[in-house]
Amino acid sequence: MKMFSISHKTAFVVDHCPYMAESCRQQVEFDMLTKNRPQGVIPLAPVSKSLWTCAVECSMEYCRILYDIYPTRKLVNFIVSDSEFHILNSWNQADQSTQELMAALAAVGPPNPHEDPECCSILHGLMAAVESLCKITEYQHEARTTLMDKADRVSNRGRIICITNAKSDTHVRMLEDYVQETIQEQNKLAISSDRLMQIQQCELVLIHTYPFGEETLVSDRPKKEISPVLTSEVHSVRAGRHLASKLNILVQQHFDLASTTITNIPMKPTLNVCDQEEQHANTSANYDVELLHHRDAHMEFIKSGTTSRDSGLKETVTLKWCTPRTNSVELHFCTGAYRISPVDVNSRPSSCLTNFLLNGRSVLLEQPRKSGSKVISHMLSSHGGEIFLHVLNCTRSTLEDPPSISEGCGGRVTDYRITDFGEFMRENRLTPFPDVQGSEVAGKVPLERAKRQLERHTRYWPMIISQTTIFNMQAVVPLASLIVKESLTEEDVLTCQKTIYNLVDMERKNDPLPISTVGTRGKGPKRDEQYRIMWNELETLVRTHMGSSERHQRVLDCVLACRSKPPEEEDRKKRGRKREDREDKGEKNGKDSESERSWQESERLKAALERDREELAEAEVIKDSPDSPEPLNKKPRLEVEDVQPAEKAKGPVSLLTMWTNRINTANSRKHQEFAGRVNSVNNKAELYQHLKDENGMDPHENGKAMR
Amino acid sequence: MPTVVLMDVSLSMTRPVQLDGTEEFQRKNLAVHGLTMLFEHMATNYRLEFTALVAFSSLWELMVPFTRDYNTLQEALNNLEDYDKTCLEPALQGVSNIVQQEWGSTCPCQVVLVTDGSLGIGRGSLRHSLSTIKHRSEDKKFPLPFPFPAKLYIMCIANAEELQNSDTLDNLEQLLSLNGGEGQIFTVEGPLCLKNVQSLFGKLIDQAYTPFHAVLRCGNLSSDVQVFPRPEPVIMDEEVDPAPRTILTDLEIVGFIEIGDISSPPVLSRHLVLPIAVNKDVDEMGTGTTDETEEENSANQMAGKSPNFCVLLHGSLKVEGMVALVQLGPEWYGMLYSQADSKKKSNLMMSLFEPGPEPLPWLGKVSQLGPTSDAKENPYGEDDSKSPFPLQPKSKRSYAQNVTVWIKPSGLQTDVQKILRNARKLPEKTQTFYKELNRLRKAALAFGFWDLLKGVADLLERECTLLPDTAHPDAAFQLSHAAQQLKLASTGDSQYAAFDHNITPMLTDFSGSGSSDRDRM
Repeated sequence: MKMFSISHKTAFVVDHCPYMAESCRQQVEFDMLTKNRPQGVIPLAPVSKSLWTCAVECSMEYCRILYDIYPTRKLVNFIVSDSEFHILNSWNQADQSTQELMAALAAVGPPNPHEDPECCSILHGLMAAVESLCKITEYQHEARTTLMDKADRVSNRGRIICITNAKSDTHVRMLEDYVQETIQEQNKLAISSDRLMQIQQCELVLIHTYPFGEETLVSDRPKKEISPVLTSEVHSVRAGRHLASKLNILVQQHFDLASTTITNIPMKPTLNVCDQEEQHANTSANYDVELLHHRDAHMEFIKSGTTSRDSGLKETVTLKWCTPRTNSVELHFCTGAYRISPVDVNSRPSSCLTNFLLNGRSVLLEQPRKSGSKVISHMLSSHGGEIFLHVLNCTRSTLEDPPSISEGCGGRVTDYRITDFGEFMRENRLTPFPDVQGSEVAGKVPLERAKRQLERHTRYWPMIISQTTIFNMQAVVPLASLIVKESLTEEDVLTCQKTIYNLVDMERKNDPLPISTVGTRGKGPKRDEQYRIMWNELETLVRTHMGSSERHQRVLDCVLACRSKPPEEEDRKKRGRKREDREDKGEKNGKDSESERSWQESERLKAALERDREELAEAEVIKDSPDSPEPLNKKPRLEVEDVQPAEKAKGPVSLLTMWTNRINTANSRKHQEFAGRVNSVNNKAELYQHLKDENGMDPHENGKAMR
Repeated sequence: MPTVVLMDVSLSMTRPVQLDGTEEFQRKNLAVHGLTMLFEHMATNYRLEFTALVAFSSLWELMVPFTRDYNTLQEALNNLEDYDKTCLEPALQGVSNIVQQEWGSTCPCQVVLVTDGSLGIGRGSLRHSLSTIKHRSEDKKFPLPFPFPAKLYIMCIANAEELQNSDTLDNLEQLLSLNGGEGQIFTVEGPLCLKNVQSLFGKLIDQAYTPFHAVLRCGNLSSDVQVFPRPEPVIMDEEVDPAPRTILTDLEIVGFIEIGDISSPPVLSRHLVLPIAVNKDVDEMGTGTTDETEEENSANQMAGKSPNFCVLLHGSLKVEGMVALVQLGPEWYGMLYSQADSKKKSNLMMSLFEPGPEPLPWLGKVSQLGPTSDAKENPYGEDDSKSPFPLQPKSKRSYAQNVTVWIKPSGLQTDVQKILRNARKLPEKTQTFYKELNRLRKAALAFGFWDLLKGVADLLERECTLLPDTAHPDAAFQLSHAAQQLKLASTGDSQYAAFDHNITPMLTDFSGSGSSDRDRM
């Protein structure tokens, strides 16, 4: 696909000379008889459109279809020509709409039949069209600027559609020559300009139109190469509906469109498809609606050669309406979605169909088959006021019968935090932000912020329920949801602190914790051990965020200050305060290095902790199964031994290391005491039994406490 | 991408290969040996690939229809018989039919042609087919290019030197160019022997059947995955941006969107995302021997029991009815979702959008999607009742804005009828009457259709005379006012014929005694 193909730029040149004011000689009755009209009234005389009116309304229809299907990147420049040229819009995307053009056309008005025909010519318009094709569009400009040195890859091609009343074939030849000469001249000018581009390829479509009942003076001619740059074709058509159908065929050719006819559309009032303003509400019938769209929507038919030909020239694919069952949200496997435009936009069947779709319902479309199973190959659906024809895959999938996810890695684990992750996904839903210039510079690209948020939210995120305590506790929720924020308010810090105090309170009251007992025999760890695990985990969570801001750090401080400590550690608090003082001093000297070191420290600690935790989880899971391999249980011990020297090996000891070491010693002391206590309560035989059974678990727990 | 192996079983394949010292081989044996290696590779590393085996000589036969059962393929391969001469064209036609019947014409396929390079003589030979290619009728067209996207890999059980003596390579290259250049010709390097044939098929495996491994990330959560089928490079615009794009091996989730909001987007291709064991020797292990399979099984069991992010993600996507938006490369995105097949099995699936900053108009630019927490108020509403999607386009489409089209007389007649219908219900319908009147006026002015304005003015004047005695007096005033305004517009006088000007109802007051016919223009 080429972005800058011939169809990127279309210059319309419509003749506005006096003879275009002539009637097309096709009459339109507008005073129709209706049933509640009094008898004996003579209807008003029918009106007739001028050649100009026919030309303008057909070219507007061309633009309507074009803009419906290509709202961007396919541009029209509308020019009318009489004694001079009038350019009605520019290549700017903002100027590309039928309303704009209609307003401009109204300002031009119909041709003045009394103007001197000698001064008027279509040539003015053709010259303006060539000049205009040389002008760079915003898309070409953008592509050239981004490609920089490869800017020559951006090509400049275009099409001129000229609707006029020519005098003879010689006249047509003259018009072609004129365009060819003008292109040469303009291309010379374009070399030396930044805002102009040379025309590499131009397609001239000359449409000669004449009143009904007259003999044509110009013959049709298929596309012919005038020069390497210019090709030209001539169409000679009567004004009115002939011109309309010609332009309809041309817009399809020019923009690779194809037609689909939706058949069997029920317009029963019960379906609410039709507006009931009209009288026929009690009758129901099936209607057909013809839509245009990019022809790729028919890829499957084109390749298999099964496009059906309706009525001679017209080629359309018929698809059957399938009445939608529910409004269920389904993700269809869709290989393409193409904007549509109804051929007959304000006919009743068309507007019923489009309104139905615009109200948010989708319609599946079925291939009409005489026999065999039903094949649903397309779907009509609107998104934000635009209707798309979706192409659904209706052949066998190469991905059928894949191994279920439960058979693969992690498939046997049953306690994933599915609901919690669902909540996490809701929090990380995306939403569109307006495109503000210069946002890239400030690092505020919304998508980058979304990625950063995901990173923050997953710094500590255990995947299974048995791996976590804090995320199973309602009491931790306020802190857990706040701490992941990029910045905290004073109020947030307060909430976090309250959460922590609440936990302290729980511990004092000896409230039970939702510690997982999966894989452990008996009742699992004792209550104070449970709290130790919980505090460890909370500390891990908060620690991963301590670098975010000073307020995050304060939450961590609070956790550290509040988490349970053995009684003889009371004096440690005092020293802790001293440490803080000293840290304050240190801050003045080398705040950065200090914080960095402490961060590294915490990272390593975190990593070690996490590793432990993973091992623990793994051990637990494996223990669950009787045929698990035995040797794996030895791993954690090695891991712990690995971690210890690494911390000691560090050269100059930071305050944090000192601090951590202290806690570690304290904890290990505490743990020994715990073992002793266990010893005094239970008899020896049972204790050894326990160790034997849970071999690997105990050393592991020991190791954790050592640090 | 399904594979069709097209195996030459013509008599020339039975030509012996000179090898000193060892037992004698036929070219066919070498070909079977190479294909065995390919099948073994696929059975272990690419086991979801569907493969069919077609044997051909002057006729062709589908030996094994598309299957993932590589034992069946192997068995059929071992039992191939020898036939007569090589006629490639009907065989390629056969492949084309087989693929279209099974997968339609949009599914990309790989065709592996295994031949000794003697492509027949006279009628039915490839040379003959290619020389007549331009003189074919519509129903006897050469099967290439295939109607489906296809890669053609030609495995010559012959070395380049011996092929140079004939025009074989030229013909094969022509075949490739007919296929749009998609594919490659492989020839044996060095003398024909088992080892060199192995390296020949090794090249094919490297080229076409290496599994695509990647890391799926969501912030700090991650999982090693295999993406199947392998995502192929994509070219967007051969003129402006001719370099093919390949997806990154680091797939980063950027956020989540409800299924209803993403709403059946068009995709380039779909791929299974299968978590693989972090332990590298688990997935690369095993050439199929029994004890290794056991080991593999236990390794798989272990892997099955350690939590994996893919499983967690899949479970939540399924429960919540959401998709994860994933970045595949610079300005290239895709989505991850749970896909259930009919047998209640479900899987994590990834679909690739078309490369570009804005693959789906209803989402807008993907780079402009950000976290909801950045928004002033939650765009999904406090109770999840709202959604920021779909994005509304800047301008409305014609079918959504009540455009005026009078190409068919019925269009014009309907519009005139609407005015008349409302005219008879004046003054109740004053607003709609003027709305319709102004719509007609605008279109008539734009199309330069002044005669219509005069005609409708006459029509309204006549309606005025036909008003029943019971009619509200205001009706007559409004009708003649409207008629007069239309007449003025039809003169083209810039004061009355301005496009943006609207005819406003005449201000009348029938509540009091006197009527004021001030005209508020």
